[in-house]
Amino acid sequence: MSETQAIGSNVVAAAPADELAPQKSVWRRIEPTALGAGSIVLLLVVWELIPHLVTVSAGTRLFFTTPSQVAGTLWTMFATGAVWVPLGVSASGFGLGLGLAIVVGLPLGVLIGRSKVLNAMFDPFITAFNATPRLVFLPLVVLWFGLGLWSKVVIVFIGALFPILINTYEGVRNADKVLINVVRSFGAKEWDIARLVVIPNATPYIVAGLRLAIGRAVLGVVVAEFFGSEAGLGVMMVQASGRYQVDVVFAGLIIFAGLSLVMTGLVQLLENRLSRWRPQPQGEG
Amino acid sequence: MAAYIEARNVNLTFRPPNRAPVRALYGFDIDVREGELLSIVGPSGCGKSTFLNILLGLIKPDSGQISMRGKAISGPGPDRAMVFQEFGLLPWRTVQSNIELGLELKGVPAETRHKVSRELIEMVGLGGFEAHYPHELSGGMKQRVGLARALATDPDVLLMDEPFAALDAQTRDLMQVELLRIWNQARKTMLFVTHQIDEAIYLSDRVLVMTKRPGHAKKIFDIALPRPRDYEMRVTPEFNELKLEIWHALKDEITV
Amino acid sequence: MTPDGVPQIPFLERNRKVALGLLAVVLFFGAWQAAFLYFPFNPLFISKPNLIFAGLADLITSGELLYDLRVSAVPFLYGFSAAVVVGVSIGILMGWRVRVGYALDPLMTVFYASPLVALAPLVIVFFGVGVAGKAIIIFLLSVFPFIFNAYAGVRAVDRLLINVVRSLGGTEKDLYLKVIVPSVLPYLVAGARIAVGRALIGVLVGEFFAASEGIGYAIARFGDLFALDKMFACILAVMIIAVVMTEGIRWAERAAFPWRVGQ
Repeated sequence: MSETQAIGSNVVAAAPADELAPQKSVWRRIEPTALGAGSIVLLLVVWELIPHLVTVSAGTRLFFTTPSQVAGTLWTMFATGAVWVPLGVSASGFGLGLGLAIVVGLPLGVLIGRSKVLNAMFDPFITAFNATPRLVFLPLVVLWFGLGLWSKVVIVFIGALFPILINTYEGVRNADKVLINVVRSFGAKEWDIARLVVIPNATPYIVAGLRLAIGRAVLGVVVAEFFGSEAGLGVMMVQASGRYQVDVVFAGLIIFAGLSLVMTGLVQLLENRLSRWRPQPQGEG
Repeated sequence: MAAYIEARNVNLTFRPPNRAPVRALYGFDIDVREGELLSIVGPSGCGKSTFLNILLGLIKPDSGQISMRGKAISGPGPDRAMVFQEFGLLPWRTVQSNIELGLELKGVPAETRHKVSRELIEMVGLGGFEAHYPHELSGGMKQRVGLARALATDPDVLLMDEPFAALDAQTRDLMQVELLRIWNQARKTMLFVTHQIDEAIYLSDRVLVMTKRPGHAKKIFDIALPRPRDYEMRVTPEFNELKLEIWHALKDEITV
Repeated sequence: MTPDGVPQIPFLERNRKVALGLLAVVLFFGAWQAAFLYFPFNPLFISKPNLIFAGLADLITSGELLYDLRVSAVPFLYGFSAAVVVGVSIGILMGWRVRVGYALDPLMTVFYASPLVALAPLVIVFFGVGVAGKAIIIFLLSVFPFIFNAYAGVRAVDRLLINVVRSLGGTEKDLYLKVIVPSVLPYLVAGARIAVGRALIGVLVGEFFAASEGIGYAIARFGDLFALDKMFACILAVMIIAVVMTEGIRWAERAAFPWRVGQ
């Protein structure tokens, strides 16, 4: 490993690698992080300074907020505990919908991955529902399940199901034929093949599907609460925009983004634990 | 008396969905003697690998008889093991755990498994790499693992499907020497499929040349070169003589 | 007959996958229709296929559907075109200038990860219920796939190929036409496939919030009126449009970039 890395990096041929390389790489290594963090800080600072630099007309000020205001609002929401009830409502819709999607998507994906007939029969429905924005079903879902938790669960479920289902299916189908032959040559039965080859092979696909599903589930909570709910963070945000409380809207956006980041982080941890056998973490696709 | 492994008039046609069928083997015959190292050479797609898979019990032929020690082969069994061209290591398992795969499927207790795998790891020269994952190994090391895995279940016959084809030329030469050493030590019957005439002569007691598809036996050559063989032997007149003869048998079958 | 003397595979067997898929769709609608024979469903909550298809035909012949679709298409076209232009420019800049890439990558990732649709109410309040507000929502949702795919596409250009063309005496123009554009284009088309789905969400969000016409509004209104057959018909129309768009792009990808196997 260390050999190939030394060859790969651009070490000046004449100088010994261990003298030159580290010096050169200090800025090299922190440059991406520094520039990345810098641009975010710059954006926040400029945004914060706008009211000090230009005079904002009264009408526009109604729609304007600054990062410090948003941070203050966030702080009060958590300090007073006002955030917990709507956050709990949103989180339960998110959790139930995502959980249901996993419970249904995993076994169905394995089944479709292993059976050609089922695959062919399910394919038109998966294609259609995956391409269609699930928001189109929202009025129908609200009609059936009423305003509240279950409409939200269904919308989250429809959104999160397909990434999990499709990725599980791809992972199962892509199991290496050679490896299946290897374990069969040692007398493996169908269950051994699944245990030793198919499931370990599908795991990274499933984790990637889970990550996509989380993004879609958060989106699902937001839209379901905009149009089909009476409580939750999304409802809070719609009401706030009606009252021109722009800072509350941004605070809600940040909380949703945070929820999405925390969940993705958890999945990342899971992935790191499960993929020790893989060569280097690959760049995100 | 029947040969150790015997194949008579084996026929197989592949029928891939949505495509025209392909005849892979047609009237294939072979006799393998116990303890010998027999190489099979032939043009690409002549069905030589397919035949190994039939011997292994993974593919059933359409017709013909295949037996080992007089008993028909009907599926995979612990008396045969394969070394695969693409190594076929489970990427999520360590070297040791890959070697123990066959024993695990046989239900051998963990302690015995570890003992066997430790011995084999020494034998193929992988000491210190027990806990490595396949992606951390070079091609030659990967195939050592493949070899050790095949030997772990102590089979009577080792089937080798172009095992060194994915290796660079130098590693390949070294692995051939290694293989002869292991063959001397373990004394298994070995069937070795390869594209390289050099490799076939250097390793084998006999070399079988196959025709192009649909494949069957064309000619068999006895390699009467003395053992133990060393690298210098490859430049002797006897070696080159054999090489030329086999090349003549093979060249009419090759179409570019 | 093939040269080997084996008969041709029959048509149905060759198209087994398509046949099975069609069978499943027919079975699905058949079962749905049949269920009404045995269960007295409340027609205020569910409709049956024959009524839905009749409703669809009705909406088409009266011109209502086409009108609503045309209304929805206007902000879609504005928002999506803006997303293509802006997204591809930013993405190429990020890929071309390494430091711009470093600087913008985390920022764009933060934006992409946050549910920007949450800003929809604000956008509507600020820009009003007209075309502008909806186009901006569509733009916000569909710009990021273009940014990230253009970025990835430029980074994926093979240095070796650039050197090959240079060594063969290629000019700067040849580099663009023969290496860079063909390398990046498949990424952009793949990005478009993702962006179309997100843009459609934008259309619906905008129209659910505030509209008096458009396909999203039609679905909501038929729901409020309990005109379930027409509501289902509109949903079906959106599904068909979504499938045609994404599968159309997928088909174009396969036809235009046959060297990209998989993906």
